[in-house]
Amino acid sequence: MYYVAKVNSDMCAEYKCNTCTLYCPEANTLMFDKKGNTSWVDEDRCKGCALCVYVCTDMLDRNCITMEMVSGKED
Amino acid sequence: MSLKYITPAERFKRYLPKDYVELVDYGPFGKTQDEAGPGNMGQFKELVEEHPMCSGCWMAYYIRLIFASLPCPEETVTLGTAGCGRLAISQAAVPFIYGNYGDQNAMASGLSRAFRIRFPDKTKDVITIAGDGGTMDIGFSMTMHSWIRGEKFTTIMLDNEVYGNTGGQESGMSPKGAILKMAPLGKQGEKMPATALAQAAGCVYTVRMSPTNIKKAAKIIRRAIFVAREVGPTFIHAYTSCNIEYSIPTEDVFADAKEKEKTRFQFEEYMTDAAKEVIERVEAEEKAASKARKAASKAEAV
Ligand SMILES: Cc1ncc(C[n+]2csc(CCOP(=O)(O)OP(=O)(O)O)c2C)c(N)n1
Ligand code: SF4
Ligand code: SF4
Ligand code: SF4
Ligand SMILES: [Mg+2]
Repeated sequence: MYYVAKVNSDMCAEYKCNTCTLYCPEANTLMFDKKGNTSWVDEDRCKGCALCVYVCTDMLDRNCITMEMVSGKED
Repeated sequence: MSLKYITPAERFKRYLPKDYVELVDYGPFGKTQDEAGPGNMGQFKELVEEHPMCSGCWMAYYIRLIFASLPCPEETVTLGTAGCGRLAISQAAVPFIYGNYGDQNAMASGLSRAFRIRFPDKTKDVITIAGDGGTMDIGFSMTMHSWIRGEKFTTIMLDNEVYGNTGGQESGMSPKGAILKMAPLGKQGEKMPATALAQAAGCVYTVRMSPTNIKKAAKIIRRAIFVAREVGPTFIHAYTSCNIEYSIPTEDVFADAKEKEKTRFQFEEYMTDAAKEVIERVEAEEKAASKARKAASKAEAV
């Protein structure tokens, strides 16, 4: 069991922002969808460090990212 | 490598691994920094692939930034050595050479000279990226002598102030008093003055920094590469914390990097007059090119 980051895209899309995507230690993991104006997480690649939470919550006070327990994939 | 070498024939693409095709189609090869650079990471396929470095590792982050900042990835070769960083550097879509422990700057000397002879009409970038142990301890003589000989390539030291990969021995770059798993009484000696040594040995451009500001960190990486092309050896000494050996909770890693920027890793940039001339020229050219591109795309839109 481990945690991965999840972006609340409705909240994220309220801002003009891609800051967290610039600070994830992993490449090709915390992505930005220009059309939807929101960041999103490729959960298979996320290592659960919560650095993105620090950026979104502590630095920017936007609280769009939460760490959530990985649930088994449905068939 | 070259752009031509990387790009597959259109009809052959369907037989190639998906990740490779994505890299060619959506990666940074042959693109400008405005199109695929540090400022829009997360919006193009980056060169670094999945790797086994720890969760929240600031060294992994800086490596991501290095690869996104390369002026010309298709004409670049990196060299490294044992240590955590090579675990990610070796997973990037840029040729990587890995030799015996600490010999990266010796190999890079031969390679950058050979490139200049073999490809006189091309610009090839050679960059060594290694840990503090690899650069300043075990590889010290080869690092110093490459600088003393004036070899034209870039050296980047990933300083986590410890031997991270082997479980916490002190290095010459650990700060005085640091208590580590395998230095339980605390380090007795001082942290080595890496940038001062580099300047004394003849580096024409040196920077010490904690990479917390993307734009600035990218600019420094590119400056070091541009100056090495024309003038002489360049050196970046970057703070890239080890959250495991220094027990930093991963969510605090960025805050720690900001704190170190105020203390041991205060920003310091040194350049000779010749290096300054190159930087001013190249940055003016880049600015003009970017402006021209923007004007052209505006004209197209009208
Ligand atoms: C000749 C030789 N001696 C020792 C080792 C074992 N070794 C592997 S990595 C390493 C130190 C790594 O420290 P550093 O260069 O600071 O890299 P880090 O893992 O901290 O990024 C050592 C001593 C080796 N691979 N080769
Ligand atoms: S930092 Fe927060 S608001 Fe900004 S892109 Fe990331 S999730 Fe969205
Ligand atoms: S938790 Fe860490 S690895 Fe996962 S998306 Fe956030 S910053 Fe990236
Ligand atoms: S041991 Fe330290 S430097 Fe090495 S990958 Fe883990 S956190 Fe990074
Ligand atoms: Mg180290």
